[in-house]
Amino acid sequence: MSDRLNRPMGRREMLEYCKCGFGSLAFMGMLGGMVSACKPSLKQPSPGQILDRLSQTPHFIPKAKNVIFLYMDGGVSQVDSFDPKPQLAKENGQDPKFKVDATQFNNNGKILMSPWKFKNYGECGMPVSELFPHIATCVDDMALIRSMVSNFPEHTNANYFLHTGSGLQGRPSMGAWITYGLGSENSNLPGYVVLNGGLIPPGGVDNFKNGFLPADFQASMMKVGDEPVANINPYAAENTSQRDKLDFIQKMDQGRLGHLGSPSDVEAAISNYELAYKMQSSVPELTEFKAESEATKKLYGLFDEDPNTRNYGAQCLMARRLVERGVRFVELTCPMVGGSVDRWDQHSNLKDGHERNAHAVDQPIAGLLKDLKSRGLLEETLVVWSGEFGRTPFAQGSDGRDHNPSAFSMWMAGAGVKGGTIFGQTDEYGYRVVENPVSIHDLHATILHLLGVDHNHLTYHFGGRDIRLTDVHGHVVKAILT
Amino acid sequence: MLFIFGACGQKQDNIHLVDIPENVDFNFDIKPILVQKCYLCHGPDPSSREADLRLDIFEGATARLESGNAAIVPGKPGKSELLKRIGHSDTEMRMPPAEMNQELTAREIALLKQWIADGAVYEPHWAFVPPKKKQDDIGYPESATEAIDALLAMKLQEQGLQPSGKADKETLIRRLSFVLTGLPPTQEEFEGFLADKETDAYERLVDSYLASPQYGERWARHWMDVVRYAETRGHEFDYVIQGAWRYRDYLIRAFNEDIPYNQFIKEQLAGDLLESPRFHPENETNESILGILFYTMGEGTHSPVDTRKDESDRIDNIIDVTTKSFQALTVACAKCHDHKFDPIPTADYYGLYGILEGTRFSPVPATTPVMVAQTIEEANRLKAYIREELGSNWKVDAYDEKVPVQLTAFNSNITNSSSTMVLGDFRGQDLSGWKSDGKAFGPKSTLGNPVFLPDSKRLAKLDEGKASSRYYSTGIFGVLRSPDFVVDKDYIGVRARGHKGTIRVVMDNFQLIQYPIYGGMSQSVEDEEWKDLVFDIGQWKGHKAYIEVLPGNYQQHRYIQQEKDYVEIQYAISFDREWQEPPLEVPKASFDLYKVIKNWKIYQSNPEEIISLNKFLSKNGNITIPANLKDAVQKLDVLTQQVKDSLYFSGVTDGFKIESPVFVRGNHLELSTDLVPRSFLPGITGSNPAIGSPGSGRMEMVEAILAPGNPLTSRVMANRIWHHLFGRGIVETVDNFGLQGKLPTHPELLDYLAISFQDNGWSIKRLIRSIVLTEAFQRATLADGKVQDKDPENHYLARYPVRRLEAEAIRDAMLAVAGNLDTAAFGPPVKVHLTSFMQGRGRPGNSGPLDGDGRRSVYVEVRRNFLNHLLQTFDFPTPFNSFGKRDVTNVPAQSLMLMNDPFVIHQAEVMARNLLTYPDADYESRIRRIYQRLFSRNPNTEELGSALAFVQASNHNSALSLQEMMDNEAVWKEYCHALFNVKEFIYLM
Repeated sequence: MSDRLNRPMGRREMLEYCKCGFGSLAFMGMLGGMVSACKPSLKQPSPGQILDRLSQTPHFIPKAKNVIFLYMDGGVSQVDSFDPKPQLAKENGQDPKFKVDATQFNNNGKILMSPWKFKNYGECGMPVSELFPHIATCVDDMALIRSMVSNFPEHTNANYFLHTGSGLQGRPSMGAWITYGLGSENSNLPGYVVLNGGLIPPGGVDNFKNGFLPADFQASMMKVGDEPVANINPYAAENTSQRDKLDFIQKMDQGRLGHLGSPSDVEAAISNYELAYKMQSSVPELTEFKAESEATKKLYGLFDEDPNTRNYGAQCLMARRLVERGVRFVELTCPMVGGSVDRWDQHSNLKDGHERNAHAVDQPIAGLLKDLKSRGLLEETLVVWSGEFGRTPFAQGSDGRDHNPSAFSMWMAGAGVKGGTIFGQTDEYGYRVVENPVSIHDLHATILHLLGVDHNHLTYHFGGRDIRLTDVHGHVVKAILT
Repeated sequence: MLFIFGACGQKQDNIHLVDIPENVDFNFDIKPILVQKCYLCHGPDPSSREADLRLDIFEGATARLESGNAAIVPGKPGKSELLKRIGHSDTEMRMPPAEMNQELTAREIALLKQWIADGAVYEPHWAFVPPKKKQDDIGYPESATEAIDALLAMKLQEQGLQPSGKADKETLIRRLSFVLTGLPPTQEEFEGFLADKETDAYERLVDSYLASPQYGERWARHWMDVVRYAETRGHEFDYVIQGAWRYRDYLIRAFNEDIPYNQFIKEQLAGDLLESPRFHPENETNESILGILFYTMGEGTHSPVDTRKDESDRIDNIIDVTTKSFQALTVACAKCHDHKFDPIPTADYYGLYGILEGTRFSPVPATTPVMVAQTIEEANRLKAYIREELGSNWKVDAYDEKVPVQLTAFNSNITNSSSTMVLGDFRGQDLSGWKSDGKAFGPKSTLGNPVFLPDSKRLAKLDEGKASSRYYSTGIFGVLRSPDFVVDKDYIGVRARGHKGTIRVVMDNFQLIQYPIYGGMSQSVEDEEWKDLVFDIGQWKGHKAYIEVLPGNYQQHRYIQQEKDYVEIQYAISFDREWQEPPLEVPKASFDLYKVIKNWKIYQSNPEEIISLNKFLSKNGNITIPANLKDAVQKLDVLTQQVKDSLYFSGVTDGFKIESPVFVRGNHLELSTDLVPRSFLPGITGSNPAIGSPGSGRMEMVEAILAPGNPLTSRVMANRIWHHLFGRGIVETVDNFGLQGKLPTHPELLDYLAISFQDNGWSIKRLIRSIVLTEAFQRATLADGKVQDKDPENHYLARYPVRRLEAEAIRDAMLAVAGNLDTAAFGPPVKVHLTSFMQGRGRPGNSGPLDGDGRRSVYVEVRRNFLNHLLQTFDFPTPFNSFGKRDVTNVPAQSLMLMNDPFVIHQAEVMARNLLTYPDADYESRIRRIYQRLFSRNPNTEELGSALAFVQASNHNSALSLQEMMDNEAVWKEYCHALFNVKEFIYLM
């Protein structure tokens, strides 16, 4: 099947695939009910039959094989990071001259200028604030979108929306959609991994779940520590080895299989044990950084004085190791910076909070981009940096900023992304988008596009509808693509 | 059979035969093609219709098109444009368009051609035609069980399938036990059944399982999947849904008591509106009302900035779950446009929306005593009696008769200006059109109520007018709620007093009122002196709202009302700048004392009359109570003590009639000008298209669901039951009977079940009993190769299907076989065990016990953001929508869990310890015991041999004696753990 990755696929070919091949779950989903017309039994595949989800074939030539999603939990302030607004300095301390929407706290104060200076970087001359001196060195690989909009000013709704395309709880996460569509390339590791740096975003693990998709596609949570994945450490029996036990189990199962009429799902459950067994050894191999050079570790900030930088650096390095091994979708959550400045949600103390959060992630992210690039991995890996919304250009209280879904900045780098691009524009305050608004659905459509998947055709039938990650919306942001 | 030539698949050049049935059936052969391949552009939804052609109705399909042709010309395939287009050689012309990826197969084209040749007869969707016994003329066997087998046999014969023989007794008891109770049979049950050689042994076993308390625990959980059962609201902080677990207990009792399904529906949708509710068998509290927790199982948003949007999301979820649960329809699809496949116009969605918008969320007392209505009635009678007796006793002297009292100024100098609006005034006799929910506020204001001194011997005064939660006494639950109004002023003002009472402005039915945005919408009433409470609501102009006055208060969104808590209000206003006390509208006062007293006796006083009466009373010393009244006063006290409330759950209550506009394309900011009358799917259920009720209209909704002509209600539930007994419904899509749902494999059987279900008084147990007694249910899972080849998916049930047990059954079985199962029933949930992977906001401070205290899984807490890890790994559904059918996945996390999870290891250890307490003489008897517990059978020779080898492997150099080995907990722990991992343990056959 892998040779198919290298060339576009015609409609006829796809149809043939559906009718005669049946190796591909994704197509069953994409083509919806058509499956029933093809299969003699009139039965859609039951989730239990989803056994082989390796390298499903995309719609067209993909640019990216994997995604690393750097989730900036809480909402980075656009006017303090990637969208400089000199007007704020001019009107600093004055009442906003524009209509202010209701905000989460409705404690809206005066215009608040950015405490940080901006400088132009790279050949493209992209302005970046002092918050991100390391990421600033990578701007020629980054496409910046300054015109992001979300539908929700509340963390949880906005988190669900960014992660699942719906503001409600319980919908499949984009990582789940992507592994459902494309599978994983490593049979010993899950296709969708969330590296938990300490903070699970508001809305909880439902941000990472499979929703109505089969559980095969939910995120596997990994964290730093003795047990990186739930139940991954082999139970140390007192008087028998796990291998012996598994052999015994295998023998019992095989002996009984005939009595059950050898149903395929029981056979699959038996073989599942071997996969689990292999995972037990491949995970420790993955989390072990011994093979990494000192230089690499330094690049990621693993020797930094700030434990949060070391923590996030380790996650970034792990992310590289995961995509190296073919894991399709990796998301990093934010480190627990501590106290009242957890994540980017600075309703007060903007300066302190943003600085500490930026310091935790800046060098590790730049390290990741550079490391991926030097290894040739950036060509096939899409790195996505985004929060769930932005922040207000006016103060909350005196020194904070409230949530702002009407405009925020995000960037992508790597596979298929036109480096050094700036797309979209906000008003002179950075409060609202005035040009080329990009919705969350558009972002999803673009990510799927880079992976070779047409967002209109990645569907799953649930509750009487063929449901998409992008609902009934979404346009690929072509301007930032190579 | 008719054979025609066709090609399947583009690359397959080999032409092969395609067979189509002799009688092409519209519902089974044609409609699935039209739905799947044509309706998206040529279906019921006009907004996406192309070429003005609709193929979902005969008139549309045969209408003349722009080209002058008709898509379908009945009886004339050659003239039918549809056939030309679907088989067109030019891909530009071919339908469906290439980009749809919906090309028709040769068989489909042949079917359409045949159907058109036969006259292109359209028939209504099978599920929308009421079930009928098709074979009335032939007659069914007397017993339902035989009838079911006969209907199944018909299909088997048609398909040429030879059914398997009967399963052995070991298999049967395990199957029956898991299916009916969710637990493996105990060793005693196992031995008893095997030894029972009577012919009715199986039947008696069925009855004993149906009668066991565990039956309800199993079947309640099935229903909990359907209604998105959860005990917290999820979202950011995962707040608790107060008393949610009472609904779980309610379900368990309902299934165990075999409450008729029609009653069960009534209680969940309108349990608060029933005139004669059911009562709890022991506590004699209102049982029916617990059903309404059905509505409040949804998620709840923390501080949504747009409450209108939030309300529409809440209601959408209720519409979705209600119509799926009871009707297996996907009405929520009609939110933004007419349903693309089913005959459900958008108007139907908003007809239902109005019913739910007029339903208000409210705390509800959880343990209302059986006699409360009568007690309150009695109290009202006593109160009237006291007035009558008191008034008759008052001596009116002649010179007093006409003496007018000094009129106190009721701020008559303040005019009712346009900047102030009176929302409610309770200084008069009535409650100003507000709703007195519950009992606390009584039917009237307190105006003129006699206030007695504590000794009950003397009258202190007649009370001033106010709405009071102490109308009878404190400690009684009740809420006073205003009608809905639109916020158009900057402030709301309420004159109130009380003790720990609460006044809330509920905007768009939004309940989770709190900081940061909505903190000001709720104020506590702490002062026993009258205070003017001001609510700053200027920024919410245009929103719909109502005011609610509660004697208790909310703590973490849980309603709490202590014995001493109360609240009283005089009036509520909305205003822009300045608080202005509204003038009392005083009708012409009567100063004829006889008349005043007469008015007072019949609760018709106005405030001035009461002032005059009070003056008169104090002046004339008419304050001593006649002896015959003392008893009545004391009795009133005693009575009101009997209706005290203390425990609450999150429920609903009826508000006022609301008709909703259509949200254009589902957008809550874009509303149609016309309002949609309330209705419940009139097109499908044939019910009233315009409900007139002054309340929410929920009762009318229930009537539509339970109307004899409703084609779905009975079928849908019969199918759910079948699904749980055989692992697949007769209609596989148990939550969708619409046009996109699967067709029934046995339509006559489904109709038969639906009708006998109703005929048998909607008894779920009787239906289950008749099915598990069938031969089909008792068949072996093994089939000969021919059956396997002909019906690989086992649609025709020539054999019993093998399937994996549900998450709960796996966990419960582990507890049971280990000897660690605590069968205690009911009560607050066992706190969920938190692993290090369960993180995030709202995480409980303490983890629950690893083994859930040995309680059955149905009693383990269902926190939306922190679901039990073991259950979740084995496909416990995410509780956001109806999941009548669970996924069965096969993921490494499941193997890892059974291999390594501390819970599993712990159960193996407990089991080993438990085994050691039995005086088994040797390995073989112990292994036999283990096999009986885990697999409900005895090991065969080979398995015994392997077991011995496994156990002996840890006896290095045979250093330990047999007894030492038998007493060696570690050895048996490892063996049990290994067997937990054998597939047979988690599969049902």
